[in-house]
Formats: sequence, structure tokens, C-alpha cells
Amino acid sequence: MRDDPTVVAMVTKARGGDRDAWNQIVERYAPLVWRICRAHRLSRLDTDDVGQTVWLSLIEHLRDIRDPAALPGWIAATTRNECLRSIRVAQQRVHAELPLEFELATDGGFDELEAEQDREERYIALRDAFAQLGERCRELLAMQFQEASPPYREIGVRLGMKVGAIGPTRLRCLEKLRQCPALARLIEAERKAAEGK
Amino acid sequence: MARNWWDDDNQIAAMLDEALREERAVPRDFVEAGKTAFIWRSIDAELAALVYDSHHAPVTTRTDTAAIRALTFATAHLTIELEIAQDSLIGQLVPPGVAEVELQTRVDNPVTVTTDELGCFTIRHRPTGAFRLRCRNSTADVLTSWITL
Repeated sequence: MRDDPTVVAMVTKARGGDRDAWNQIVERYAPLVWRICRAHRLSRLDTDDVGQTVWLSLIEHLRDIRDPAALPGWIAATTRNECLRSIRVAQQRVHAELPLEFELATDGGFDELEAEQDREERYIALRDAFAQLGERCRELLAMQFQEASPPYREIGVRLGMKVGAIGPTRLRCLEKLRQCPALARLIEAERKAAEGK
Repeated sequence: MARNWWDDDNQIAAMLDEALREERAVPRDFVEAGKTAFIWRSIDAELAALVYDSHHAPVTTRTDTAAIRALTFATAHLTIELEIAQDSLIGQLVPPGVAEVELQTRVDNPVTVTTDELGCFTIRHRPTGAFRLRCRNSTADVLTSWITL
């Protein structure tokens, strides 16, 4: 999402010292940092360390960031580098002279990184859009995401809805989700990209 | 042709499910720790970027592979040369001059030393986690980027 106005606004505000904007940035991208650390199989302790270094670097980076929309890419790259550094340090602790093969082994190709970033952008847009839905839609959708999704009859009782209304309501909620600006922008961009191919 | 994920109700619902799961999987204290990092924001100091790290230098240009790690941070006006010894940090400011050098870590109280006229300083502490240096004199206030050894 090249020019996501949400990201641009958050970065501008955080740069000006707005703590809430900073908190939003952390909430938004913490899952990305966490997942990359998991993918590198870091311990919880090392994950905390990597996280801190990424956030501290980001606070500085906010000042000279030219294109706020490039933020997720920057965060992903910084996290990956820090993970590799953490692994190197751990290897040195265990084995002073172990060759640094891990770097090649864990680092997927450029395509893989791109795909991961695309996926993360989708997830972020989906979460943004979900947060903007009304409470009823959120409840209804969330119930169906449970491990054992309750039958319509039970959903109906809990939400005070007629069973026959649940299916159509679910579709309306998903439609609202698509129309939320955060997700609509991404879908539009992907649609254009797909047509361009 | 396969439908686009956003057009298919079940597919978009499944992706939303995954996205929310991913968010839930992140421990709250991990997120909160990231938020508190904001206190390290500094507005006055000029930032010195890491421009050289002997660890990342090509092997051919290293004088000795087992040598002490050397780092260089720079702004347009000041360069900070730093060597990481066994239990201390040894550095020099260029151009030389007397300045206060403060070692900042996330956990310990800052340690401040004063350089000699040649800009040389020694900090008898080797930080284990992320740290940075703040160098101040009458004309400059420079902060290095964070680094973890």
C-alpha cells in the first residue's frame, strides 16, 4: 500500500511526539515483529531483545523516514537483521568458530520476502477493517472463528437473532468489511495489479 | 480461473480469522514493552549513524580477524571512533576536544565520562544489551544509533 494515509498520519504524529500515535504503530506492527522472530526460532528472551532494538531504532528512524508507507518493509527488514544478529551471537556463545551458514539457510529469496510482506499487509488491513466494524458484526464473525464454531441456533440465541437472519447478516458484515477504507484500498490495489498481469 | 481472495466470502473470512489469530498470539507484555520504548525519543540531539563496523567489514580488509571490534559513528560534524574491549569501551571524538560522553542502556543508569583534550575516553563497562552514546560539549549534542554487541 504505497500511500496509506493511516500510516502517514501515524508516523507524522509520532514524530511530533504523540505517544498515542506511537502506541498505535507498535500495536499495528508488533505481530509482524513477533512472527519474524518466531520464524527464526528465537527464544522468548532473544525475541524481547530483538523487539526492543527494532522499536528503539524505529523511534530514531521516524525522524528521517521519507516515505511512511515503506514502514512495514523497513520494520520487517530491521527485524530480520536483528534476528540474524541474535542467532550469530548465540552461535558464538556455543561454538566460537561455527561458520555463519545460518544466514543463507534462513533467508528466503526475494520472492519469499515479498510474499510475506504482501501477506502481512493484508493481515494489517483486515485487522484495521475488522476494528471498524460495528460490535454486532464483530461478535458474529468472531463466533464463527472459534475452534468449535457454535451452531446457528446457539449464535441466534446469544446475539438475539433469528436463525434465518444469521447467514445473510454474516454476508452483509463481510461486505462491510470489504468496504472499510483500510481494506478497500488494498483490494483496489491488488485488483489493479492482478489485471495488469 | 480462481476467484480473488477478496471476492470469496469464505476465503476472506478465513483470512480475517488468521489475521486475528496472529494478533492474539502476540503476548501483551511484548507489545507493552514496545510502547514504553518511546521514552527514549530524543529531540535535541543530532543523530550519528553507524558508518563502519569491523564485524561487517569484508574479511580481506580486516587487519586481524580476532581483533577488537571497532565501530565508527558519524554526523556531518563529528565522528566517534569506538573500540569494544573485554570489559570497557574505548573511544575518540574527531575533531578532538573535551566533551561529556554518556553511555545509555535500557536498564542501567547512564554512565558519564569526560574526554581528554584529544577527545579520548574510556568507559569501564561493557554493556550486554542495546546501548548508545551521547556526546555533548558547548557546541554539539550528538547521539549514536542503538547498537547491541
